[in-house]
Amino acid sequence: MGILDLTSMGEPQVDVKREIIGQLERLQDEIPEYCYQCAKCTSGCEAHRLLELEPHRIIALLKRGLIDEMVNSDIIWTCMSCFKCWERCPQKIAPVEILFLLKNYAVALGKQIPGNYTAALQSVLSKGLIQDVKTISTRTGETKSRRDVGLPEITKPVDPVKFQALISKMAVEKI
Amino acid sequence: MTKKTLVFYPGCIMQTEQYSYEISLREILPVLDIKLVDVEGFSCCGEPLKSVNRMITLVLSARNIALAESRNLDIFTPCPICNLAFRECKNILDNDDKIKEKVNGFLAEEGLTYNGISKVIDLLELLYDIVGLDYIKKHVKKPLDLKAAVHYGCHAIRPSEIGRSDDSEEPRKIEDILEVLGVEAPWYPEKLDCCGGLLNMNLPETALTKTGEKLRSIQEQGFDLLVDICPWCHRQFDSKQKKSGETVAYSLNLPVVYLTQLMGLAFDIPWGKLGFNLNLSPVNTLVEGR
Ligand code: SF4
Ligand code: SF4
Repeated sequence: MGILDLTSMGEPQVDVKREIIGQLERLQDEIPEYCYQCAKCTSGCEAHRLLELEPHRIIALLKRGLIDEMVNSDIIWTCMSCFKCWERCPQKIAPVEILFLLKNYAVALGKQIPGNYTAALQSVLSKGLIQDVKTISTRTGETKSRRDVGLPEITKPVDPVKFQALISKMAVEKI
Repeated sequence: MTKKTLVFYPGCIMQTEQYSYEISLREILPVLDIKLVDVEGFSCCGEPLKSVNRMITLVLSARNIALAESRNLDIFTPCPICNLAFRECKNILDNDDKIKEKVNGFLAEEGLTYNGISKVIDLLELLYDIVGLDYIKKHVKKPLDLKAAVHYGCHAIRPSEIGRSDDSEEPRKIEDILEVLGVEAPWYPEKLDCCGGLLNMNLPETALTKTGEKLRSIQEQGFDLLVDICPWCHRQFDSKQKKSGETVAYSLNLPVVYLTQLMGLAFDIPWGKLGFNLNLSPVNTLVEGR
């Protein structure tokens, strides 16, 4: 199972794209009723100062239907998932969730998945875990495995084939 | 007497590299009469992949919960990120039979069924609400005379809509536990600032800047140490402290420990049994002479 099949949720991606865009368009219809553009979300945004993310502007762009512009921009990948925008919004709009949707849409459109997401995804799909078990270093520079420090074997999918079957079934049939 | 028996869901980061968290948990929880049951077959909770595909997150969470449910026990998720994924999954599946049925169709590939019978419990709920301060206090043999900065981590306290175990703006449970250990934990302005950990996935330099900036402010305010409960945050603050100091061009030397390690010290468990040799930040000052 290649990563593309899974990230695209099976060729030709049409269903996933349609589903996500449907959700985004529903939000686009609803949000103008609620968002004050008060920018409280942006005032507490963890990615604002260093990376110039402005969640209230994401909402404004969504209102105007500029979904493609956002999907093509790196800015959607600067969110740290701190959830402050959702928590503090007086209208309980969740810019962070809209950002998740936009990123999902970018992936479904076949855009480049940035950084380690690809490796993490591949690792989860092939082994069930986000990374391999590591031999780590002590403060004095000795290396230690889980066994060395008295920990039991890790827990991971017992039958990787069946585990992958589950994920691919989901990829093909969707939710 | 065992107070509660729980399935132990370690999540990826703890079991693949954050050993001091796992070691200290396995050491202190039996003292508090909490029994952990290890279960074979768990996978990633899915939360770190939510940016790629939210449905993978939902299905992976459901899969793990289903696996734990087969033991008829509640599930303990010490990692706040896994905990958030599981709670969100439960909120969705327990309120929508159609999605639940669909997800169960996938889980059938591995012979699993999600029922929604198990509760998902995080560290704060376990220590504060289930074990309780009085019971913790009973086991404190060597109160610690320290001044700590507390870092909850974003996922432990937000979003409250999904159901978190402490207040999103003024969380207090860690401070209350620390007080019982003899540790003073005053408020500081950067308390709720993010560690930047999830940015490691695509913008690791910025992640390190966030980490370094927070550590610098804490160090400048004269705290003896930083206490955390999230393996992603701890990886930033402790495992990557040196790198984050280089990134913000500041000489960092702030001891960073898991709450569970500190509890172990106060319970008079030898520090060698609490994973203190694995902290990469300068924790020597905390354990020397003990
Ligand atoms: S999303 Fe909420 S916080 Fe942000 S501008 Fe709109 S109303 Fe204000
Ligand atoms: S969740 Fe993302 S968009 Fe919202 S405040 Fe945090 S970093 Fe900003």
